[in-house]
Amino acid sequence: MKEQRLKPTLVNSLLMLPALLLLAIVFAWPLLDSAWLSTQASSVLTGLTPLANGGANWQRLLGDARFWQDAAVTLRFAGVSVALELLLGLAMALLLHQPSRGRGWLRALTLLPWALPTTVLALGWRWIYNDPYGPLNAILRACGAAPFGFLTTPASTWLFTVLADVWKTTPFVALLLLAGLQSIPAELEESLVLEGASPLQILRRLTLPLLRPWISLALLFRLAQALGVFDLVQVLTRGGPAGSTESLALYAYLNAMRFLDFGYSATLVIATFLLLVLLTALGWLLLRRRPLELS
Amino acid sequence: MIESMPVEPSPGAGLRIEGLSRRLGQRTLLAELNLEVGPGECLALLGPSGCGKTTTLRLLAGLDAASAGRILLDGSDITQQSAGERRVAMVFQSYALYPHLSVADNLALGLRIRGMPAKEREGRIAAVLELLQLTELRLRRPAQLSGGQRQRVALARALLRQPRLVLLDEPMSNLDAQLREELRPELRRLLCGGEQPVVYVTHDQQEAMGMADRIAVLRDGALQQVGSARELYARPANRFVAAFLGRPAINLLPATGPRQLGLRPEHLQPVAQGGLAARLLRREWWGNQQLLWLESAQGDLRMLVAADQELPPALQLGWRPEHELWFDSHSGERLPGP
Repeated sequence: MKEQRLKPTLVNSLLMLPALLLLAIVFAWPLLDSAWLSTQASSVLTGLTPLANGGANWQRLLGDARFWQDAAVTLRFAGVSVALELLLGLAMALLLHQPSRGRGWLRALTLLPWALPTTVLALGWRWIYNDPYGPLNAILRACGAAPFGFLTTPASTWLFTVLADVWKTTPFVALLLLAGLQSIPAELEESLVLEGASPLQILRRLTLPLLRPWISLALLFRLAQALGVFDLVQVLTRGGPAGSTESLALYAYLNAMRFLDFGYSATLVIATFLLLVLLTALGWLLLRRRPLELS
Repeated sequence: MIESMPVEPSPGAGLRIEGLSRRLGQRTLLAELNLEVGPGECLALLGPSGCGKTTTLRLLAGLDAASAGRILLDGSDITQQSAGERRVAMVFQSYALYPHLSVADNLALGLRIRGMPAKEREGRIAAVLELLQLTELRLRRPAQLSGGQRQRVALARALLRQPRLVLLDEPMSNLDAQLREELRPELRRLLCGGEQPVVYVTHDQQEAMGMADRIAVLRDGALQQVGSARELYARPANRFVAAFLGRPAINLLPATGPRQLGLRPEHLQPVAQGGLAARLLRREWWGNQQLLWLESAQGDLRMLVAADQELPPALQLGWRPEHELWFDSHSGERLPGP
């Protein structure tokens, strides 16, 4: 079962050019431009004209407590949110994999939260969490409890923002893992059943190892997205209260659009990008090991 | 061909299937199957796809539930036992090797799950690897093995379980023809003649005849006939069995009233005069024999003769009366005598 590979020839390489050009325009150029801008002072103070200021932006970044707090918030948000999504997504995928009536409909329904635009969903959650009129508080009141300010204290706001994100993106993880489950031949499980394995043993010895490439994929996708979280927090909390949900992307946005400090905003963008590359590369290295070949 | 050996098991030993059925909604996948397989006996379940042979195997394994009937193994009823409790080994058509594990770990996993101590486990695995000449491949993964090697690993895994019953589902259909032929005696040596009954599913009549002590022919979920290859070939229960066993297939002449005559291609021969007039259409020369396609008043016929036999384009065909197979033209049942 050898893969046939094309030999790299001049013509083949030339054929790649349009794709490379496109990537260069939409990805490399903005990135390089931002990297350059991060070495410039460009704000209302300079009349928005870029002026080279050496490493002043980067120096400021290292001493900026708000940056470090936002980095911690972003990391914590991404870590907890992605971990929950993986756990719930796996459970959902295992359930959806079971043969049942109307499985197709169920799968389509599951995907709905993911298909919603984040802004719409964030507005929805803002109403659900509303104190004291939202549906959640209506339920609390109906149970005789006092209304709760879901988005008032830093800790609870952070938690309920994570939950809103988990609600939206778990279906994506579930769908990806479901595709993985369906790629595992049924006889493998049956063979283990004949060996007397319990469902838990099958999960541990067979399903999870074979799902690993899919889990890695879901993890990388979600980690990259979660580290760049912007629209959810912008609409749901605007980063508050007390910066408890302010992500790096939001901080970069505020610097550019509110404080009109484009040089420092670009510095934040590049810092976020480096963090993202570092973490996804780390995740990739940890999960890669030997690629699985299904015969 | 392997002669059917008289199987006289001690009472209750071996596999006994009583009225086994499986229905799915309105469909009957298997209807009232009754069979016995003695200890060490190899029974082939033979039939076209959809005939119920794989269904039977899955019922025996406990992977599917029976709608009715009983399965008795060495005298005890295992119908209600779960697949894990039955101590049944199954070799799947795809071999079902765990792709993320080495050959040795593929073998070890089942024993680990059953909680066998490491020392005993290692010893047993080493012995089976040796028996199947897999010792040098023990660290490879399934993707790094050839088809034949994968099949040996699947066999090793089945033997390792020390099963009370061995089930094989088309175990050679993924191998090329030559390898299949070579492996048949090896498979028989390894699996058959021990304590446990062996049930072997195949759609290949030659494989069934070469491997099994007895053959059970199935069609549309119903057992047609069970017996040794010789019995089935010489005295088929009906037209279906007659047509399914034997290549090239039997000549079925047009029905004359309530009866229909069947003649095997090798039983036709040219005669000087007074036979059935026929004209030669086409000839396939096979090296050891030749197949002749003939046209006659009784329709097109196939005749198998020696490779060096010279034949004129127009000839008379004859056959010996004891080779005539008569069938009820309506029901297809074989009728006794000419």
